[in-house]
Amino acid sequence: MDEKTRTAAGIAAGLQGLTYDDKRLAELAAEVKTLNDAVREAGAKRLTFDDDPFTFASLLERETKK
Amino acid sequence: MRNDDPALADLSEVADAIAARRITSVAATEACLARIESWQPRTNAFLRLDEAKALARAKAMDAELAAGRRRGPLHGVPMAHKDMYYRKGELSTGGSAIRRDWRAPVTATVLQKLDAAGVVELGFLNMAEFAAGPTGHNVHHGHCRNPWDSKRVTGGSSSGSGASVAARMVYGALGSDTGGSIRLPASACGVVGMKATYGRVSRAGALARSWSLDHVGPLTRTVRDNARLLGAIAGHDPEDSTTSEKPVPDYEALLEGGVSGIRIGLALPNDGPASLDAEVGAAVQAAADALGKLGARITPVILPDFTALYRAAEVIAKCEAAAMHRPWLEKTPDAYANQVRTRMEAGFFIPATQYIDALRLRGHFVKEFLAAAMDSVDAVVLPAIPFPIPTIEETDVEAKGGPATLNMVGRFTGLTRPFNTLGVPALSVPCGFDSNGAPIGMQLVGRPFDEALLYRIGHAYQGATEFHKRVPA
Repeated sequence: MDEKTRTAAGIAAGLQGLTYDDKRLAELAAEVKTLNDAVREAGAKRLTFDDDPFTFASLLERETKK
Repeated sequence: MRNDDPALADLSEVADAIAARRITSVAATEACLARIESWQPRTNAFLRLDEAKALARAKAMDAELAAGRRRGPLHGVPMAHKDMYYRKGELSTGGSAIRRDWRAPVTATVLQKLDAAGVVELGFLNMAEFAAGPTGHNVHHGHCRNPWDSKRVTGGSSSGSGASVAARMVYGALGSDTGGSIRLPASACGVVGMKATYGRVSRAGALARSWSLDHVGPLTRTVRDNARLLGAIAGHDPEDSTTSEKPVPDYEALLEGGVSGIRIGLALPNDGPASLDAEVGAAVQAAADALGKLGARITPVILPDFTALYRAAEVIAKCEAAAMHRPWLEKTPDAYANQVRTRMEAGFFIPATQYIDALRLRGHFVKEFLAAAMDSVDAVVLPAIPFPIPTIEETDVEAKGGPATLNMVGRFTGLTRPFNTLGVPALSVPCGFDSNGAPIGMQLVGRPFDEALLYRIGHAYQGATEFHKRVPA
């Protein structure tokens, strides 16, 4: 079991109260790493302290047809 | 109307005929019921049909009209909807086994609006389990089958909506779209589907797949029909705080005017989450050429890399789905199809910071998309499904599994899911048929709340082409 999978096992059993076998934990660990990395990399290039998730809706309202 | 079978008329045609009393709502309803009798065994589009209730409602709508009361442009029109729109006291399965016998405590806002508009409800339609699945497979209620070729998928998750409209069982249907679930079945079944701007249509009383990405919208045979139906369901709703207070335009009144001078960007992406099949690319190129002949100014555009945007959507959908499904996932995990359950489970492991960052990124993605793809154009045209429609067997993840099958299923949403993250409007319009005889659809994508322009372009295109007039035999 690699480090990612051990971490997933810890989250499942220790924090979420869920049970998975080792094979499934390895799959989940790989999937989560791909998703986390993508968001972290995209965020590193773009996000600042003042970015608020709720600005999305106001942006849509504002960015209507010019 | 084009021939003797009222079921083959478009929604607008039959609605106008009912208003002019050239046909009764009862006759239109009976025509739909006859089509359903013929097509249901081939498509499995309906989960529940209530003939008696529909005929009683049609009779009441005819009586109102005879008394001089017309509720509006949908008065007396028969429809059916994806089985995720709640009607108080009635069954609402969400395509699942878990809610097979569950009765809704409220009526969805969109159904209330259609009730007030005088629509006749025939029943509720097949869908992917809990709106999770892009193909139309459903292990609990039976797979929905494409009316053009029953071996092929309908697209999902609004599978029954696409199939029933295409087979002329109903004049229009509501679907929902979290990653393409209106546009995929619209494309695969050869009908029109609108995912309007996030906040344009209320989600109150609709089963959620992912609150942040869900969009409610119509599937119809023509762009005109779609404009009429969206006009009836759009608008602010106090029951859904994410709905916009912007006034709803009269979409149908804005259809005419043509496309002369309208700037349309053509995007035929060959990388990112979905590589494009040549046959599909050629059909969308031909559609752009047709719009060019009508006077639109077609220019190639490069879309931003959708990979990060696609991953952000996955993070949001998985986290929200895991949260809402947790009680059932803990107590009755075997009540889900494997592929539905496994797609949600990662949501338990993604840190909250990543989920919040995915939400915070949306604004940046919108700005980048508008700057990169739409700065010099009014709309973008691109394919809806990047490859010819596969068979049910080829895409049966539950029975077959394997990396190739999973990859194909994953590619279904490669060109649709990004617009759920962006929240911008996207309209799927039929633009051809592949070498297997299955439909091809293009997407028209616009700026936020510019649905009227997309309808205008789509309407002009349908005025110059015949794809939407073909009926499955």
